[in-house]
Amino acid sequence: MREAADIASPPAASAASPLLAAWSWYVRLTARWPAVRSLVPFVPVVALWWIVAEAGVFPRAFFPSPPDVSRTFVSLIEKGILPEYLEDSVVRLLVGTAAGMAIGIPLGLLVGLSSRAYKALWPIVLFFQAIGDIAWLPILLIWFGFGLTTMTFVIVYTVMFPVIFNTVLGVRSVPTDLRRAALSLGAGRFALLTEVMLPGALPNIMTGLRNGLGYGWRALIAAEMIVGTSGIGFLMFDARRAGSVVEIVLGMIVLGILWYIVDSWILAPIERATGQRWGLTTR
Amino acid sequence: MKSLAIRNLSKTYFDAYAAAHVTAVRDVSLEVKEGEFVAIVGPSGCGKTTILNMIAGFIPPSAGEILVDGRAVKGPGPDRGVVFQSHALFPWKTVLENVAFGPKMRGLPRPEREAIAREYIALAGLSHAADRYPNELSGGMQQRVGVARALANHPDVLLMDEPFASVDAQTRMTLQEELTRIWQERRPTILFITHDVGEAVFLADRVVVLSKGRVLKEIDIDLPRPRRWDALIEDDRFKTLSGQVLQLVRSA
Amino acid sequence: MRALSLIFGAASFAAPLLGLLVLWVVVVHAFDVNPRVFPGPGAVGHAALESLRDGTLAAHVGASLARVALGTALAVLVAVPLGVAMGVSQAVSDFLTPLFRFFSVLAGIAWIPIATLWFGYGFGAIVFVIFNAVFFIVAYNTLLGVSTIPKSLRHAAASLGAGRWATLTEVLLPGALPNIVTGIRTGLGFAWRGLIAAEMIATNVGLGYMLFVARDFYRTEVIVFGMIVIGLLWLLIDRLFLAPLERATIERWGLVRAA
Repeated sequence: MREAADIASPPAASAASPLLAAWSWYVRLTARWPAVRSLVPFVPVVALWWIVAEAGVFPRAFFPSPPDVSRTFVSLIEKGILPEYLEDSVVRLLVGTAAGMAIGIPLGLLVGLSSRAYKALWPIVLFFQAIGDIAWLPILLIWFGFGLTTMTFVIVYTVMFPVIFNTVLGVRSVPTDLRRAALSLGAGRFALLTEVMLPGALPNIMTGLRNGLGYGWRALIAAEMIVGTSGIGFLMFDARRAGSVVEIVLGMIVLGILWYIVDSWILAPIERATGQRWGLTTR
Repeated sequence: MKSLAIRNLSKTYFDAYAAAHVTAVRDVSLEVKEGEFVAIVGPSGCGKTTILNMIAGFIPPSAGEILVDGRAVKGPGPDRGVVFQSHALFPWKTVLENVAFGPKMRGLPRPEREAIAREYIALAGLSHAADRYPNELSGGMQQRVGVARALANHPDVLLMDEPFASVDAQTRMTLQEELTRIWQERRPTILFITHDVGEAVFLADRVVVLSKGRVLKEIDIDLPRPRRWDALIEDDRFKTLSGQVLQLVRSA
Repeated sequence: MRALSLIFGAASFAAPLLGLLVLWVVVVHAFDVNPRVFPGPGAVGHAALESLRDGTLAAHVGASLARVALGTALAVLVAVPLGVAMGVSQAVSDFLTPLFRFFSVLAGIAWIPIATLWFGYGFGAIVFVIFNAVFFIVAYNTLLGVSTIPKSLRHAAASLGAGRWATLTEVLLPGALPNIVTGIRTGLGFAWRGLIAAEMIATNVGLGYMLFVARDFYRTEVIVFGMIVIGLLWLLIDRLFLAPLERATIERWGLVRAA
């Protein structure tokens, strides 16, 4: 870690040109706070958006400016709508993901470890995976009506398949020598599963979770648009009905930021902690 | 530590691509006495790894029998420790946890198995690295852990499958010297597979030359111990024996 | 010999699915399931024949496939050159990576509301949704692919006399190809889902619409048939087009482990 003073007063090179000095200041800044590196690129994008909106190229109702969106943001928070909807979406996603993993990991282990289970289940898994989550919505609506069950089903369904696929892949990619080593050290069937196969497949399972969440996230938005009575997807679609572009844009930004946080602060570190320290790369 | 006996061992398998039966191991008999260090040397494809895999119980023999301490071998088991060429350390376990794995499988409580593990880690000269993950070690250190892990389980026989083939030349010499030191301290029964003639002669009491699935010749290595490379490399007896083995391997 | 093993493979793949079909028949009969809740295979087969005969199936499938094909083709054509251009300079790719990650997160379904406002309900909005589902993911992956090509490969090409153009066609494009293919596969996966969702919301023809309108009339046999069609189409796209493409590049070159 560099000292803060380093950033304030760059070394002699600054004499060369103010532009180079600014550049090296930026490099030192991002080296100290890597988060800056992922935020700064958005500055010109927002600026461009602002200029285009202010210039009135498009009608304001169709193309709101950043201040419009932030005003809406504040007012939706004050009314309590945004926090409530956000909570609904996140809870649905969490519950669905947990259930999807609880089904997907054991199923993946079974299919990956037993060739008989593989023969019997693999074509069925492929087929149902291909149908895709959103295509289930109409029949789910008939079965369960407009409600939480329908949405949870869709998310569980979506998260499950990438988890299954990657668990199978993970189990199969455990080197034969590791299994042999465990057996010749006296491991039984159960120890082989818990001490070798499961940890060996873990990096892949994490990748599966990450992919599954990526799909589950989109499925949730779609489900909320089509069947929802609350949630960010519903917020956006309701705004569409009312013709309020500001709220749609706000919804998109909230979605993007939320996913960014989940992906880079939760999923990526877990993947790094398992995959990198163990020297197992998943891609 | 107990003895190992192989009687008329053969392995035939069907090569679907060539549409023919291939005999990898043909009627091999071999005895490793308690506390003896035997090396099998031969060119690649001579069947030496197949023999080791059968002894370890990873693949079943087509004919013949394998006896450890008089009992027939059925599948892999903790009575035969294996050191792999690929080191086969569990990447998700630290050095300590890897070495403690065998005792854990025997159901020993944590303090006991960690004490055992620390003892063998110290024997391998790795006490400073006990809490690191295999990925964070050099190739030589990984192989040391592999040896410690196998020994910590107190096997009757230690099977080593070209364990030093993928480390650099300097490290390999150090590892070989260390292995002879550990062997002299603990006297395990070792069957060591290698394609390196110098390694076989340096390490073993007896070298078995294998060719096309058969035993070509067994040669007793009567070099004094402890053996050190800087002394042996100029030793006439070592040169004569190595030359003899090399000629057999190349004639194979 | 080869043909025989191929037939055997197909049979062992189909056997569990046939088992599933039998289970379906048995369950529907044994529990006397209300056809409004879940139809038997007979009703679904009837719906299939009917939609084949009156041409509605062809119209829906045609509309859906045309949208996916157009949206994907446009996206790949724009995204790949853009991704390569951006990936050439380390500074530029470092700068743009967070932006493209952000937008590939939003890609697809989240754009449906605004797309329908900008383009109105119908073809334009749906193609736009598919376009941006594929575009950002392919561009991001191309960028990633080009910027992770080892420097030594570029240096090797340069010292063997490759100019700018040759470096592009001989090193950068092939080097990034596995990533590009992965991007297309992922993007198309999102696009396919986006298509179904968008068709449920924003059109009057297409597979998603076919399902959604059947729901209004409680025609579950049409819904189930539509789901099977969607599943089969995706299996065909994935197995006959995407998987071979990925195998041909990634696995052969040993660049990435097969997924």
